[in-house]
Amino acid sequence: MENQQPDVTGLLPAPAGGWQAELPDQFFDRHNLYDYIDGGAELYLSYGFAALANRTYSRPGQPDIILDIFDMGDSRNAFGVFSHARETIDTTFGQGSQYNPGLLLFWKDRYFISLLGSPVTNESQKFMFALAREIEKSIPQTGELPALLSLLPQQSLVKESVKFFHHYIWLNTYHFIADHNLLHINEKTDAVLAKYADGAGRALLLLLNYRDAQTADSARTDFIREYLPEYSGNGAVQLEDSTWADCRQRGSLLIIVLNASGAGITGGLIREVRQKAEAPQNQQILK
Amino acid sequence: MKDKLFTRREFLKDSSAAAVGTALYLNLPDALFAAADGKSRVVLIRDENVLDEKNRVRYEVIRDMLDTAVVRLLDAPDAAAAWKKLVRPDDVVGIKTNSWNYLPTPAELERCISERVQGAGVPEKNISIRDRGVLSDPIFKSATALINTRPMRAHHWAGVGTLLKNYILFVPRPSDYHPDSCADLASIWKMPLVKGKTRLNILVMLTPLFHGVGPHNYSPQYVWAYKGLLAGIDPVAVDSVGLRIIQAKRKAFFGDDRPLNPPAKHIALADTRHHLGTADPARIELIKLGWQEDLLI
Repeated sequence: MENQQPDVTGLLPAPAGGWQAELPDQFFDRHNLYDYIDGGAELYLSYGFAALANRTYSRPGQPDIILDIFDMGDSRNAFGVFSHARETIDTTFGQGSQYNPGLLLFWKDRYFISLLGSPVTNESQKFMFALAREIEKSIPQTGELPALLSLLPQQSLVKESVKFFHHYIWLNTYHFIADHNLLHINEKTDAVLAKYADGAGRALLLLLNYRDAQTADSARTDFIREYLPEYSGNGAVQLEDSTWADCRQRGSLLIIVLNASGAGITGGLIREVRQKAEAPQNQQILK
Repeated sequence: MKDKLFTRREFLKDSSAAAVGTALYLNLPDALFAAADGKSRVVLIRDENVLDEKNRVRYEVIRDMLDTAVVRLLDAPDAAAAWKKLVRPDDVVGIKTNSWNYLPTPAELERCISERVQGAGVPEKNISIRDRGVLSDPIFKSATALINTRPMRAHHWAGVGTLLKNYILFVPRPSDYHPDSCADLASIWKMPLVKGKTRLNILVMLTPLFHGVGPHNYSPQYVWAYKGLLAGIDPVAVDSVGLRIIQAKRKAFFGDDRPLNPPAKHIALADTRHHLGTADPARIELIKLGWQEDLLI
């Protein structure tokens, strides 16, 4: 329930083990996030960012450890912002985590957490992990994943490649598609992008769930006009670079396959998504 | 006139555009900074010894790199002559740097530039080195010449932090330039405070950041010791070359053609929309000097 979720300020762990919080804590909301991550705020705002608490932990001879706890307002958006950094599947912390030396990112419930301490030392890494464990324990519940993920075919899915977003700019994450909002994506659109790979076979699957079927239809029309003008509606189109693409609509859902190595993988992905969308447990996803 | 919008299909259909890649363009204007043959000259210089084992900059090495680059850029007989082409003794010079905590303009390079400007006859009192606070700095406010230098790095919203983007602090509200992934950064260069004043652009490629993650957009995993500097008069051309190196590194590291996210469209638009310089590799004369290993371009 909403009132069981801790306030973001209450999640900042107390300093311990010789580490001090010498700098004042900082707190930001939607109106002043730019003051903290100028130029980077848009990513978080596009995911419905609500609040941020920041604390810096210092200890002589060690790098400062900067802790940022983002309240994204909703677990689906916390997952979404985390999905941008994810390169591997790792659940060491929270509901998913990513550790590169000196940088730990994880998410749990509606919170996205970043711990940065560079250049890393054994001591700083140990303390960083202890902080993460304490924060994780302070968040009592887990959060739901975006429902649209349940439409992804599982066979050959590159699990760590899955991204969830509401802003068109992230369309180009794996494959440059367009420099403008070709698919009419906005904050009311749930978008999932995922890679598939199976031996030499590969494809990029894009699922877009719009606020209604009319919006989906409009996006589909523009996409076909600009990107697949030769599309007849009867199967995948082979492009100039020998890859295949297809686009299908079912109600509010657009299913787009790009950069596919063959017509077979393209058709297979579309077929399976449509079957999943028709399953009784998933019918509430479409509008 | 409405700007042209691009999709991947257009690149695929147009072989010349496809060769250029994901971001660089058609319908080129005459570059403002082009040499007589119509190309913008960019010098890439690298030195294997510019960094020590802890990635600290060796002053003597970077000084020599800067001198060599400027001499070649301007076809001057020596560094002193080259700098005299860039600044006059009566110039008031702002050296616009970048103080981002994880990857600032190296102090050693700032020192070299200041020394060379002084060597050209500009008194020290008429030189200022700053990033934040340029709008309230009396030297920058009265500057007749600017030298622009910063490291290239992956950026949250602009794709990459560039020489073009380094002037965003010349406007009171930088966030005004964030829409459409910072598409119109080049328009800042036409404001009276900076227009026509930039004499030299130096893009620091010593340890570029080729991929950004997390709220600070920084992970040491995504920094590599490229040990280079890019120098040019045309900021768009220099940024364009830097971008190609970053993209090549991403491809080598990730094993696939992972585009910058968001795309660094402001570099291309500085050319096609704002006509500030050229982003087209075919119209850039790239001179490569020094260490050649893992050049990526």
